[in-house]
Amino acid sequence: MDSFLKRHSTKLKSTALILMLVIPFLLYAAALHGSILQVKLLMAILIVTMLFVMKNG
Amino acid sequence: MLDLFVVKWIFAFSPILTVLVLMIFKNWSGSRAGAAGWFVSLIAATFVFGAHPVLIAYSQAKGALLSLNVLYIIWAALLLYNVVNETGAIQAIGIGIQRFSGDKSIQILIFGWIFSSFLQGVAGYGVPIAVVAPLLVGLGFSPVVAVAVPAIGHSWSVTFGSMGASFQALMAVSGLDAAYLAPWSATLLGITTFLCGICAVHVYGGWKMTRHSLIAILVIGTAMAGTQYILAVSGMWTLGGFGASLVGLCSGLAVAKLKIYNQVPPSQTKSEMGLGWALSAYFILIVVVSSGVMIPPVKAFLGQARLTLAFPEIITLNGWITQAGKGKAINIFGHGGALLLYATLIGYFVYRSKGFYHSHALKTILLKTIKSGVPTSLGIVSMVCFAMIMDHCGMIVILAEGVSRVFGSFYPLVSPWIGLLGAFMTGSNTNSNVVFGVLQQETAQLAGLGAGLILAAQTTGGALGSMIAPAKILVGCSTVGLSGKEGPVLKATLQYGLIITGIVGILTMLFSFIR
Repeated sequence: MDSFLKRHSTKLKSTALILMLVIPFLLYAAALHGSILQVKLLMAILIVTMLFVMKNG
Repeated sequence: MLDLFVVKWIFAFSPILTVLVLMIFKNWSGSRAGAAGWFVSLIAATFVFGAHPVLIAYSQAKGALLSLNVLYIIWAALLLYNVVNETGAIQAIGIGIQRFSGDKSIQILIFGWIFSSFLQGVAGYGVPIAVVAPLLVGLGFSPVVAVAVPAIGHSWSVTFGSMGASFQALMAVSGLDAAYLAPWSATLLGITTFLCGICAVHVYGGWKMTRHSLIAILVIGTAMAGTQYILAVSGMWTLGGFGASLVGLCSGLAVAKLKIYNQVPPSQTKSEMGLGWALSAYFILIVVVSSGVMIPPVKAFLGQARLTLAFPEIITLNGWITQAGKGKAINIFGHGGALLLYATLIGYFVYRSKGFYHSHALKTILLKTIKSGVPTSLGIVSMVCFAMIMDHCGMIVILAEGVSRVFGSFYPLVSPWIGLLGAFMTGSNTNSNVVFGVLQQETAQLAGLGAGLILAAQTTGGALGSMIAPAKILVGCSTVGLSGKEGPVLKATLQYGLIITGIVGILTMLFSFIR
């Protein structure tokens, strides 16, 4: 797992950055439409992304 | 009642404390510490300040908009730097300057004060120290001095450098415009211009060399501080650091011709690329930015497409209200970052038509830009997003109220130190402004002080923090073989950083009486 993360570090970090910039807009759309389930699901993805950044950023 | 306030204040401070502890004591990068701060703010906001999923959703959308505003400039600035650097132009500029004077104090000023500020103006993010330190070692300076001099010398230009990314961040988080923020910011940073020049010479040659350099510091400092002020208050703040250092370069080269600085013969080294061609991308940049900012029809044409979102009123479970309103708008084609991109593209094609690139240059440029841009961006986005969570739950107002209660009318003395602390912990003036900008603004309002002056002190402290930020010192040390021996450099820069910040604090206090 660690060697995979090291090998693909730049790609994974770039993906994390894109997710961190895209998910908030999806959250906005979900919140605007009152879809709490979607908000919670997207929050879960954002939390996983932040966990990745905290470990490997 | 007071006890409850203290407990809430501690929880409100916990995300910032987390970032501080992880970066200073655990040596975490800005991106990792920022993500940890985001988690702590999410937990504190949910369990203490009454945040709910919808509030978090809206706060993150606002955070993403703010981040895009800052990242637009950062990525474009990095791309421009790599487009220029790949031709060997940065080295050519260094060699071109070296041919003007053999006087050590002038070399220190031109390289460590002016050229490093010029690099801050066009790139930033540690580039000034990384580029200038090896050049100074090549001129015979010790590695410790070679890193310390540009670290101290370039600090004054950080806020308006990197195409004004830090200033853009200050405007974005405070919601105040350039016309309100620029005068005080340019004034305080203008004063630090002279102080940085004096300290850059002093770190090498003590008071004797400082006295010898005084005329040069006064002439060049006045040219740079004056230019920065004019550009900042006339709406061209994206060119503030760059334009000032370019004028500084011209005045520095002129001062180098004075008899007192011309006792030792200059270097005869020549580079393959002429100074004119090396600087051509930056001349293009001046033309593009000036046209985009100062010619009304061009400005209007480019400003037609704006990206923004409307946000409804948001209320926490504890009753804290964030008013409805629009998020930070991104001027897609007229943004500072867009202007930089146009200049970068033109510069790239000019250099390519003259044959300055090797066959795989474009790929190298893009890879280098991504490699340095991604970690910086991760740090900025995570910190902006946790600052937005704090803002939407009233945590920043509680922090501000606490600081205001303790320091009261003496708050101006403290404000630059908060900016310095932010830059020290995050390695970035931009991040410092993002994390502490709203806190400083709220505190100023509670204490009845002008937000413009206090935010100017914030960003000046943040700029000065660049000279003591471990992240930047590490970059510089790695380029001159001092990896793992950063202590002496940090010791040297720390004393100057603390002295200049103290002076800025006193000046802010005095200005708060006369504003």
